[in-house]
Amino acid sequence: MTLQDLILKLSAFWASHGCLLQQPLDLEVGAGTSHPETLLRVLGPKPWSVAYVQPSRRPDDGRFGQNPNRVFKHHQFQVILKPSPDEVQQLYLESLETCGINPRQHDIRFEEDNWESPTLGAWGIGWQVMLDGMEITQFTYFQQVGGIDLAPISCEITYGLERIAMFLQRVDNIFDLEWGGGVKYGEVRLQEEVEESKYAFGQVNMPPEEFAAAHRDLFDRNYALGEKMLDSGLIWPALEFCLKCSHLFNILDSSGSIGVTERTAYILRVRQLAVKIARTYVDATTPAAMSEG
Amino acid sequence: MDRELLIEIGCEEIPASWLPGLTRQLATHLDARLKDARLDTDAPAESYSTPRRLTARVAKLAERQNDHEELVTGPPVSAAFKPEGEPTPAATGFAKKYGVEVGALERHETPKGIYLAYRVRQRGKATVDVLADVTGGLLRDLTFPKQMRWDAYLEDGKGDLVFARPIRWLILLYGGRVVPFVIRRNENAQGPLVQDIRSGSNTYGHRFLTTSGRAGRAIKVKMFDDYQARLLENFVILYRGERESKIRRELETHARRLGGRVSGLVAAQSSLLQEVPDLVEYPSVIAGHFPVEFLQLPEEVLTTTMIHHQHYFPVVDEENRLKPAFLAVTNMQAEKPEIIARNNERVLTARLRDARFFWDADRKATLESRIERLSTILFHKKLGSYRDKADRVSSLAEWIAREAFGKSEAAAAAGVAGRLAKADQATDMVREFTELQGTMGGIYAREEGQPEPVWKAIYFHYLPVGVEADAPPTRQQLGSAAVTWAAVSLADKIDSVAGMFAAGERPTGSRDPLGLRRQAQGAVKILADLPELTGITTRIELWDLMTRALSAWTVPEDAQQALRAFMRERVMYLFEQRGFDVRNIRAVVPQSLDRFDMVEAKKKLEALAQMSRSEALRGVATLFKRVKNITKDVAAPPGSDASLLKEPAEVALASTLRQAAPDIEAAARRADYKDAFQRIATLQPSVAKFFDDVLVMAEDAQLRAARLALVARLRDLILDIADISEIVTET
Repeated sequence: MTLQDLILKLSAFWASHGCLLQQPLDLEVGAGTSHPETLLRVLGPKPWSVAYVQPSRRPDDGRFGQNPNRVFKHHQFQVILKPSPDEVQQLYLESLETCGINPRQHDIRFEEDNWESPTLGAWGIGWQVMLDGMEITQFTYFQQVGGIDLAPISCEITYGLERIAMFLQRVDNIFDLEWGGGVKYGEVRLQEEVEESKYAFGQVNMPPEEFAAAHRDLFDRNYALGEKMLDSGLIWPALEFCLKCSHLFNILDSSGSIGVTERTAYILRVRQLAVKIARTYVDATTPAAMSEG
Repeated sequence: MDRELLIEIGCEEIPASWLPGLTRQLATHLDARLKDARLDTDAPAESYSTPRRLTARVAKLAERQNDHEELVTGPPVSAAFKPEGEPTPAATGFAKKYGVEVGALERHETPKGIYLAYRVRQRGKATVDVLADVTGGLLRDLTFPKQMRWDAYLEDGKGDLVFARPIRWLILLYGGRVVPFVIRRNENAQGPLVQDIRSGSNTYGHRFLTTSGRAGRAIKVKMFDDYQARLLENFVILYRGERESKIRRELETHARRLGGRVSGLVAAQSSLLQEVPDLVEYPSVIAGHFPVEFLQLPEEVLTTTMIHHQHYFPVVDEENRLKPAFLAVTNMQAEKPEIIARNNERVLTARLRDARFFWDADRKATLESRIERLSTILFHKKLGSYRDKADRVSSLAEWIAREAFGKSEAAAAAGVAGRLAKADQATDMVREFTELQGTMGGIYAREEGQPEPVWKAIYFHYLPVGVEADAPPTRQQLGSAAVTWAAVSLADKIDSVAGMFAAGERPTGSRDPLGLRRQAQGAVKILADLPELTGITTRIELWDLMTRALSAWTVPEDAQQALRAFMRERVMYLFEQRGFDVRNIRAVVPQSLDRFDMVEAKKKLEALAQMSRSEALRGVATLFKRVKNITKDVAAPPGSDASLLKEPAEVALASTLRQAAPDIEAAARRADYKDAFQRIATLQPSVAKFFDDVLVMAEDAQLRAARLALVARLRDLILDIADISEIVTET
């Protein structure tokens, strides 16, 4: 099964179980959780079920296209079910069957793995799903986002698309995956991986101090705009600027541009903004949702 | 007639490490709840668990609650009636509370007088009518290392029912019949896909395995015997012991087939064998291989990858060399286990390929060159980066080797090892395999050609973890690095402990996220066994080392006091773990830790252990409390005139002390504490006679001072060795 067939199968499966098919967030993020379709929608009482692919950037994982398993950017298939249905594990296992993974021939296990994001004031309880010793999915019952207790509880299912495709195609190098129609993953992404890795580690024609200064400046400006948006009651734009800050911080970190104390301070700033955004969203949407109910 | 109670809480996968504790809790709380409900059982509750269920069974549970009778006392009769005999409001109020007339109340005699009283009689209810409350209470009683909300509540008015993972079904059977009980779902979650959980008689077997029909379908049960039998038919082994022995059996068989055995490291370094039975409902073992070329990686990297990352069991040959093979416990009985084995092989191979990449890349730069990068890794926000820590540990290790150990020839190597000890945190290998910190640094140092006293000091510097005398590393493992290792390991640990107290971080109760207790007792363990491990016999005062470490910061007095108390606790913990009597331990470990040396204390404890039945020593010990109390405000003698002593008993004591003191002090100097305590014991008759015959607090001030000085001399002579008043205290 090609990578794109896998996306089609999962999309069709979750659409048939009541999920809206959303599109990726058009910003640089580290995980599908940052998408407002997760981060904001899990707040408040309104039911919401959604699925989408999210290209996810982890600057620190960049390996110049030389590591067969690790990349600057990978793809997640993200499912949010709010509230979480009683049969959610069963549904998940059926989705694997749809993709051609027969649970009777493999060893599939739910092993404890909780999720926490200090920058988002968020945490959840759950498992990593192991398929014959390989982690293929993160399965989380969100408990808090932006420091706010969630009710109802949402279930987040995050499939690692490349991992699953490598398993299905029996290839050991991510760049040998078939993306679709005979085209290899490497053809689509190798050049991008090499260049993004160079960028992430600051290997550019620019003195390191200048590289760092430029990114700090970008961070500060985006941060200021994020606060302005929030002042204007614009939650989505505020979140977007907050996410840009989060990514810029990751680049500052991977390129070794910040020291320890500063690092903590940056994390704290992003967290403060994210928490404020979450609270504003809850305040803005909860009364409306209640009057609807 | 007694009937069986069967409870099964069907859950989504509960974390393996929680199951043993939860299983115990289930039985304990159920017993307590039943007792509370006045329901008799003829044996304690049994409890079982698999990742997807918590099961409790009481073989024989009474059909009714016991009747309850209780006498409730009201106002005293004296306050219950007016002079003319009319009941007071106190009396009528009390009667009204129980719905009776004042005339119906009893009179109850107590030592304090006669009181009005009402006899409450409650007839026991049928067990089936009480079990819902018992079950609700039981669900509330269970506690978890981390609890989750899952949109559920009970109708007991206490709100949300938090649990380990969502509950999906509930068996509640009494005498084979379902007792109604319901776990409600919150309104904003409830709907066609989110429903209340109602007690029933259905259990569920293995998720994927079945002999007939569809896996995971409901299985109706009545009694425990058929419950566990039906589960077994459906590939769930309820008994943990049976799961464990199936795993052990199959591990052995497979290892033999591979021409080896399971590596001893599994048991020595991990709790894998204890954990796997709680990860599976129906275990079976598979065997896999990895390419021989990876055997060139350091063995530690291979075993860590297998044991800690993949939960695999490495296999070794007769000479304890790793084979390119592993065993894995699966939760399946697959038709083609080779498919699962092959997939696991691919996962392991990918990980090992990563490891080899790190191994090759890391060795391109020296540890020394990585120290600068440590400045980007935070140790603690008030204590700076690992770069700062490296500097502190380096100079502290050097000082310990030179000054505390008196081994100036080892000081330079200790300084180098201390400086490089944390450099591996900036290597790719340790960023990926954090468990290998220290170990990896040692290996890289060896690869760079650092001498044994340096690389082994780094390699072992996180050890010891345990406090037992034989906890690794052994003297043999340490080889020529024994002294440098002791200096570096001590420096690292006391720097962390002192630093964290300086920064205001203290372990409280069960909270010790920084592992300070483990670090402190590791330091104490090194000092306790220093002669055996390193041959160093010089006197080393624990608080001297702490003072040196603390000098890196300004530390408020209260934090220092807290640190003394904390260190004393760890010292006492070590000695308790080694089987010494806690009273003797208190005797030899002073509150202040002033002038306290671990090795000396250990020897004193060994001597006291032999002497503890000496009646004479116990006699002195009993009087010693008086000695201490009476001289509380007396500083060290001399300063008074011994010629004033006239009473025969005081003259005798003074002369006994004069004769015995030099021998006692000499015995202590030789560290022959048995001799010292024996000599102290011989003082018993003189001390006893003195306190019988002499009034210390004489009216004459000069005489009083002379007597106090005599007692103080006795006090100081003994206290210098141990506060023996402790050995006769009640524990």
